[in-house]
Amino acid sequence: MGTTDSEQTAAGLIEDPKSFDPKGTLALILVYFCILVTMWVYIYFVEFLGNDLIVVG
Amino acid sequence: MHVHSYEKIWLALGLGLILLLIGSVTYGAVGPGVSMVAADQPTVDPTALDEDDRFAEPRVEQVGENEYEAYVVAYQFGFEPDPIVIPANSTVTFMVTSRDVTHGFEVVGTNANTMVIPGEVSTLTVETGGPTEYGVICNEYCGAAHHGMEATIEVVPQDEFESSTGGSTDSGGSTDGDGSGGDQ
Amino acid sequence: MTATADAPATTSPDATNEPVTNEDDPDGDGDGAATPEGTFYDRFPAEARIVRATFLGAFLAFAIGTTFGIIQTLHRTGIARPFSSVDYYTFLTAHGVFLVLSFTIFFLVGVFTWALVRSLDRPLVNTRFSWAWYGLMAVGMTLTGITILAGFTSAVDLSADVLFTFYAPLQAHPLFYGGLAVFLVGTWLAGLDWWRTYLAWRRENPDERIPLQTFMVLTTTIMWYVATSALAISVLFFLLPWSLGLIETVNPTLTRTLFWFFGHPVVYFWLMPAYLLWYTVLPSIAGGRLFSDPLARVVFVLFLLLSTPVGIHHQYLDPGIAEGFKFVSMTNTMFLLLPSLLTAFTVVASVEYGARVRGGTGLFGWLRTLPWRDPAFTGMMLAGLMFAAGGYSGMVNAGMNINYLIHNTIWVPGHFHLTVGTAVALTFMAATYWLWPQITNKPIYSKQIGLAQVVLWFAGMALMSNAMHAQGLLGAPRRTAEPEYAGFEYGTAFGGFQELNVQIAIGGTILFASAVLFLSNVVLTMGNSRTDGLAETISEPISGPEDAPLVLDNIRLWGGIAVLLVLLAYALPIVAIIQRGGLFGPGGEAFPMVLDALSILVDRAPDAIALLTDRAVDALGGGRLGGWP
Repeated sequence: MGTTDSEQTAAGLIEDPKSFDPKGTLALILVYFCILVTMWVYIYFVEFLGNDLIVVG
Repeated sequence: MHVHSYEKIWLALGLGLILLLIGSVTYGAVGPGVSMVAADQPTVDPTALDEDDRFAEPRVEQVGENEYEAYVVAYQFGFEPDPIVIPANSTVTFMVTSRDVTHGFEVVGTNANTMVIPGEVSTLTVETGGPTEYGVICNEYCGAAHHGMEATIEVVPQDEFESSTGGSTDSGGSTDGDGSGGDQ
Repeated sequence: MTATADAPATTSPDATNEPVTNEDDPDGDGDGAATPEGTFYDRFPAEARIVRATFLGAFLAFAIGTTFGIIQTLHRTGIARPFSSVDYYTFLTAHGVFLVLSFTIFFLVGVFTWALVRSLDRPLVNTRFSWAWYGLMAVGMTLTGITILAGFTSAVDLSADVLFTFYAPLQAHPLFYGGLAVFLVGTWLAGLDWWRTYLAWRRENPDERIPLQTFMVLTTTIMWYVATSALAISVLFFLLPWSLGLIETVNPTLTRTLFWFFGHPVVYFWLMPAYLLWYTVLPSIAGGRLFSDPLARVVFVLFLLLSTPVGIHHQYLDPGIAEGFKFVSMTNTMFLLLPSLLTAFTVVASVEYGARVRGGTGLFGWLRTLPWRDPAFTGMMLAGLMFAAGGYSGMVNAGMNINYLIHNTIWVPGHFHLTVGTAVALTFMAATYWLWPQITNKPIYSKQIGLAQVVLWFAGMALMSNAMHAQGLLGAPRRTAEPEYAGFEYGTAFGGFQELNVQIAIGGTILFASAVLFLSNVVLTMGNSRTDGLAETISEPISGPEDAPLVLDNIRLWGGIAVLLVLLAYALPIVAIIQRGGLFGPGGEAFPMVLDALSILVDRAPDAIALLTDRAVDALGGGRLGGWP
């Protein structure tokens, strides 16, 4: 926890695995999150609500 | 229990995503008013549809000002009536049931889509736009010729609808008409 | 407490010396229980034979299922139709049953047997019992399979063209349902076998934490018991007696609801062995360590709790089920995203740790240092990536009203070919490259072919599944032999229907080639002679079980809550369905799916005559009330 980037060396991580901050994982998963939200908004509000014959009852 | 701070951030975003999804669906229900196929009709005996005045003679009928009901029977392997002729710029409620197995009723390329289960009546209310034509297909496997099960919906101008259906849209005559016409 | 207390003390120094291969893990916390010397085959030869047999059963089903898959792909897209469109549905039924029931579940029982024995470091209580459940599963699936395949010939009066969902009133031969029941009993006994072995271990090790892999096996087994209870009721009380003519009708909505009570958790049943492999094997292959053992446990508990009370989301467009029940099912379903999102983070972080230890740097640069030449690693990573994509279409499927857009379109099979068809199947194939040497002492024939094979699977599925999703948005239905119709043309978005067909056909062909490569590699591997030195180890978690609250291991508590949630979600809908349509439905006939027209006539003539007589009598008697409730 709370380690700076310089401490995240291979040796440092083997020494103290709990100091590992998965910033690459966080970055990847934030990209994934943005894709999910964008594609959801597109399919729900454009493809679905913009479609013909909305069922209203 | 130890959870890494990054994973806590991710957990919070995940919860946010779930709320967004449920929120969107709720908005769709209350904003544009999308409503689900549900349990609003009593069950019917699929082998005795000829005793049900909606399905003895499947048809489209006017039920109110600019409001219509389309009674549709799905069967192996087709839909009745076919074509389903409905007026443009009106509110149409499809009531669909099956007289044999489970079918689907999908108006291709639109949101009108429902399961058709024998014994149940699926109701879908839609608002039609201008005159057009749609394909209707069964989208649940229903037997060897499932892929041939289709129909069309013709959305026609109001005046054309009235002239094409003539007297049969008047609610009075239909019960009489179907008993003799349908069976013989 | 001795073992648990000693765990945190020993883990860190161990880790300091050896982050990747763990020297000793006497506490059996599930992550390094196997000693470095010796493979699973060396240590548990009797169990290894069982695991090998289950895998071979799975691969046989895979061979049949994928062969039918390519036939369907080419038929549906209109590229080649050597068989009639009627036979298409026989292929489709077999494709579904062999792949999603036979392939997945046979592989699952193998992985679970391996994981349980390995992590408990203890043999099964009685391997004769294990062979008994294996035998039941094999016999049951064979019976069901025969009734399906008999659909190709009219020479035998057997058929089951009912697809793997067997919605009544489509009716299969009694042996179809009977075989399923026998198969189900086999899986129940497998679960019993694992529990018995666990309880024996517990008596020998009263104070230890449940090893992680065993924890995963036990929670998944409880989920399976909860889920299959409904399928058993549906088959034994309704469908089987009905197919035997003991009861005249069934309630189609009721049996459908019972099917989906089972049908959603079964997808997690397929997925859990893949998760087990991602959590416990993948980090080790990457040279990393599981990021968090406690979160892995939380994820499996969440699946146990949430995977069943959601089945109604398959019935969003069913008449006869109130909108409120559908909404409840949707909220449960959406929360089921959480364990998968957590898994994505934990597994990727575990792999990233491996990359960083290997010297990987940068925000994304570490990805380059991973062992991409290892088919087991690459296969599982690509499977995970596909699961992330499947997560998107899964969200859409879960959204209640947006179901109008995609329900029963080919979007849905597009989705589950990403999940079960890739996340699960590709993980199983990739894991085979790692596991097979462990259970047989035979090295893989060719890791290069393996690598090509997993990449081909990914590429083929990317092409096929993407085009299926797009066709679904155009409204093309699933489950049809000929998706082109006389009365209308599909829209032209996404390249149009025909172009998407070509993509599906190319993708499907690549997938089939990949399947052939996989199966050939396995067969050639079986011809290798046994060697030493193949033993692989599983690394210790960074945050071990000592960080997990003890309550997580209280499986009885979680099982109890799971049952309660299921009752809350299902009691009212099921009572309402029975009140509406009656236990045996509002009437109707059975529709046996026997292809031979003559036998239909012979079978149904008495019924038809009886029905006509009945009608005539009714007509004379002044009409009848029918089935009105």
